[in-house]
Amino acid sequence: MADRQVAQLGPGTACCGWNHCGRRLAAGAIDGTVSVYDSQPSPSSRWQAHEHAIVNVVWLPPDYGDAIACVCADGTLSLWEEVAEDDQLPSWRKCKVFEGGNSHILSVQFGLLLSSLKMVTAYSDGQVKVYELLDSLELDKWQLQAELQNITDPVSRNGKPACISASIAWSPRRGESQQASFAVGFNSDSPHFNSCKIWEFEEAHQRWLPLIELGSVEDKGDRVHAVAWAPNIGRPYEIIAVATSKGIAVWHVGFNPESECRLSTESVAVLPGHNGEVWQLEWDMGGMTLASTGSDGMVKLWQANLNGVWHEQAVLDCNGSHD
Amino acid sequence: MLADSGGGGAIVPFSGDPNHAAPPPPPVRPIRHGVAPPISRVFVSWSSGNLLQVACLSGGRGAEEVAGSVVEVNLAVANGSAEVEQEIDEAEMRRIEYGSVPAFALLQSRRNALADAAAMQHMHSVSERAEWWQYVLQYSKTIGKLLGSPDSLPGLMIEDPRAILKVRERPTSLKAAWELLEIFYVDKNLHSWLPERLVDWLADYDSLLTKTDGTVYCKLSDFQKKLINLQVVENDPDYWNGLSAALSVGWLDVVVNMLRFHGSYQLDQMDNRETENGLVEAVAVLVSTMPRMRPDLPTGKLGQCCTSRPDFIKAWEKWRGQVSKLECSAFWIQCGHQKTRDGLKNLLHIMMGNIKDLTAATSHWLELFASHFLYIRPFTVGFEGMHHLAQKCIQLKPSFGNSGLTGLLNGILSENPEVVLAECTKKFGPWMVTHSMELLAADNEYADIMLHEERPNFGGLSIEELHRLVYAQVLSSHSLTWQIAPTYLSSCLNQGLGLLEILLLKQPIQDNRQVLKTLELCRLYELENVSTNIMKIAGIYHWKHGRKGTGVYWFQQAHDKVRLDRIAQQLFERIGKSVADDNFKQWEGLVELLGSDIGSAGGLEFLHRYRDFKRSLQQALEGRTGEAARQTVEFLIQLMRNPSTPQRFWLPLLHDSVRLLNCKPCPLLNVAETTLLLNKLQELSMAKLRPDFCTNHLPSHALSSVRLALASNLARAILEEP
Repeated sequence: MADRQVAQLGPGTACCGWNHCGRRLAAGAIDGTVSVYDSQPSPSSRWQAHEHAIVNVVWLPPDYGDAIACVCADGTLSLWEEVAEDDQLPSWRKCKVFEGGNSHILSVQFGLLLSSLKMVTAYSDGQVKVYELLDSLELDKWQLQAELQNITDPVSRNGKPACISASIAWSPRRGESQQASFAVGFNSDSPHFNSCKIWEFEEAHQRWLPLIELGSVEDKGDRVHAVAWAPNIGRPYEIIAVATSKGIAVWHVGFNPESECRLSTESVAVLPGHNGEVWQLEWDMGGMTLASTGSDGMVKLWQANLNGVWHEQAVLDCNGSHD
Repeated sequence: MLADSGGGGAIVPFSGDPNHAAPPPPPVRPIRHGVAPPISRVFVSWSSGNLLQVACLSGGRGAEEVAGSVVEVNLAVANGSAEVEQEIDEAEMRRIEYGSVPAFALLQSRRNALADAAAMQHMHSVSERAEWWQYVLQYSKTIGKLLGSPDSLPGLMIEDPRAILKVRERPTSLKAAWELLEIFYVDKNLHSWLPERLVDWLADYDSLLTKTDGTVYCKLSDFQKKLINLQVVENDPDYWNGLSAALSVGWLDVVVNMLRFHGSYQLDQMDNRETENGLVEAVAVLVSTMPRMRPDLPTGKLGQCCTSRPDFIKAWEKWRGQVSKLECSAFWIQCGHQKTRDGLKNLLHIMMGNIKDLTAATSHWLELFASHFLYIRPFTVGFEGMHHLAQKCIQLKPSFGNSGLTGLLNGILSENPEVVLAECTKKFGPWMVTHSMELLAADNEYADIMLHEERPNFGGLSIEELHRLVYAQVLSSHSLTWQIAPTYLSSCLNQGLGLLEILLLKQPIQDNRQVLKTLELCRLYELENVSTNIMKIAGIYHWKHGRKGTGVYWFQQAHDKVRLDRIAQQLFERIGKSVADDNFKQWEGLVELLGSDIGSAGGLEFLHRYRDFKRSLQQALEGRTGEAARQTVEFLIQLMRNPSTPQRFWLPLLHDSVRLLNCKPCPLLNVAETTLLLNKLQELSMAKLRPDFCTNHLPSHALSSVRLALASNLARAILEEP
């Protein structure tokens, strides 16, 4: 059979994340420990990262070493990197802790652009912060570049939403000349904050601007459960998948610097998604197959055919028996 | 992008289905992860190609040892192409994958060369097209040879005279399908004797047609098993059935060989069977002289070879006349053996093209189809009426357990390249599709357009490019095959290089040999940006993992000035903290590594001067020569004058020199030099008051000891001044 068990996760594991080549796995547990697996069934490192449960583990881009960010249930965020001296075994070192302040950090994602590292964090009060790494060798010096609210209309700024989760996806383009952009959507009690928006860094004024909102008039306020931006290997448009309670919407976003209307968006499909909440969306390396997981315990794979019609390509059932 | 699965929707839909009715839901594949249900959470991540990592976390809060499991699922496997997987194991498939790369690459480079030539001459010549199909034929032959099973039996073996079916090599569906495409799409030379080619093909691959229904091959191999225990073969109805079956599909050598098993040939006969034997032999002669319209006959094959059509028609009429004459002969009355008489007559009827007997003799519709060309429509040329005939044969002999081959042939005969492509995808997998597209489009304008037309709904991809990308993803899914994926990706003009970049960036960088291999691929495909990124990633990995030298080496290769400057800065900091001599060796090596060619890195320039100063100072203190002492202070003055020397190093530099300044009887510095240093010291004292002043862990009396040494030096210098 084509399935191969690669690791066994210890008790209390609550979340996990893979590095860029998919060969290293970091798993966070409810007791605040983190374990790293290197294609071995048991972890190569394990340490106490937080006092409380870890809810999310994200790897930094490999351009900054082997490093992870852990989001803790207490609303803090810590950065860890693997280091070794001479011939000694590598160990994980804490580089930086970000406090949530009056609110909790819900989610974090890293983006690479113009050879600098950016970090976007989303907070339980609907805030979004963009940090920039100041030192290309060390992960301890960060500068707050912007504080945003995920809204397009300033009128809706009044009041603070209560957010349960946030989904962030950086544009995966690596090019030196590319504009920096990311998409973010919330799962909150405020429809204005929920809808997924693409933010872009405007060089001229050195600020982040909401470029566009991904949502039709009637679906705009839906709670967003997951967002994934597809790698683009040569398409004239970008593809972004957004999961809400209504299913998984696949968006085509065209960035045409030439045309008058610089941006065009089109919802090309609304996939039925899962029986229950969508947990995660992941694009394959060519950006042609979308994998989704959901509370029905299924992994579903979605593809478009040559006519641009999206369909369910395969289903993997994880509810299997104990064998 | 995954290869098409059997059940789910297809990436390339049939164009004959305009409604695109919702595809049936894909089959559900259970993941065996060994974690007790219920599952609280599932995480997924794509790694290279079609590998999906699935982590299943247990919902139970029990004290089990294992609370989660990570499974790597290869979605390329067990996803269609089942037929190929049953026949060809993984290692054999890998041999084919590797072996087909040079042929594919050669064909692509020939295509590019032809396109360049055409662009230069501003025309599309007919000769170019003519040349092209010959290139494709050459390519097809190379791949065909590759598909031959390597474990074929050696040629020199003692042949059992009673062996009906000669075993050559284990036929595979993949090779059978490849040859079918070659016959119909590439080899123009064959068009005048297409039916004979089909008959030859059937002789090689009849055993693969179906697994459930019978074939001529099955009949004969069953009879072969029975043969050992048979005393009088002509009394067994299976003997005659086997003979008529073999004859119906034109296996003349088999028929003649089997006829010689007939009891009448035996010398020790009690009864008088001369006439009977004469009749058997007469049929055998007729069978072996059957005219066949083909350029040559391989050794061992029987028949009368006719290369031109008029010759063939003449020979055919003569031969048919002989068959009819024998059928009406009076000798039959003298043949006492009823079964022989009936059996031989049946063979004659087959040769005369009796549809009833042909239908009875054959098992599969494709066999009936071939028998039509042999005996009923011997003068068929090319495609003429083939599709209609195939439909008729299918009606007469409906088959249920069809293999991919019959589906493929159906697509070919209905002249529908989309169906052919879909059958290839479904039954023979991504390797077959990727390589066979060249055959389809070799001389078929419609297929050419269909394969190369860019689809705006699919990001501008063409079908050809899409299938190459799919195949490249399959190759990328295995550590032993990912290296050949770039050949296919680079042949995709629109999106291949984009995927190649991602593939190369996903390769692990922990192992230097692996990095070198990846960089070589970058160089080959001129992906400089990617190689720079890979070097930077390798550099930071080694730098962080205690191999500072390797790290610096990669940063230099990547011309990563930002990081090299930063490393130089880190070195200053370390030097600034302590200039103890045991430390010197360690950072001296790093400075050496950092090199001097990075001119813009101001920090590096300083480090090099500082290294020279330290070396010279050591020599001077060891008291070797006065020259060394003079050299040292020159370095010191240069350093202090140079604006790139960071201010925080002024004091350590001067402090290092105190011993030297004090130990020499005559002053090493002249008045101007000493004044310069004293001024710097003054500047430093002022700077010390500023809040951002960087202390450098020197003893508190450092400043005053430097001042004292300089003052005494100044005093001596003034006295010595001429």
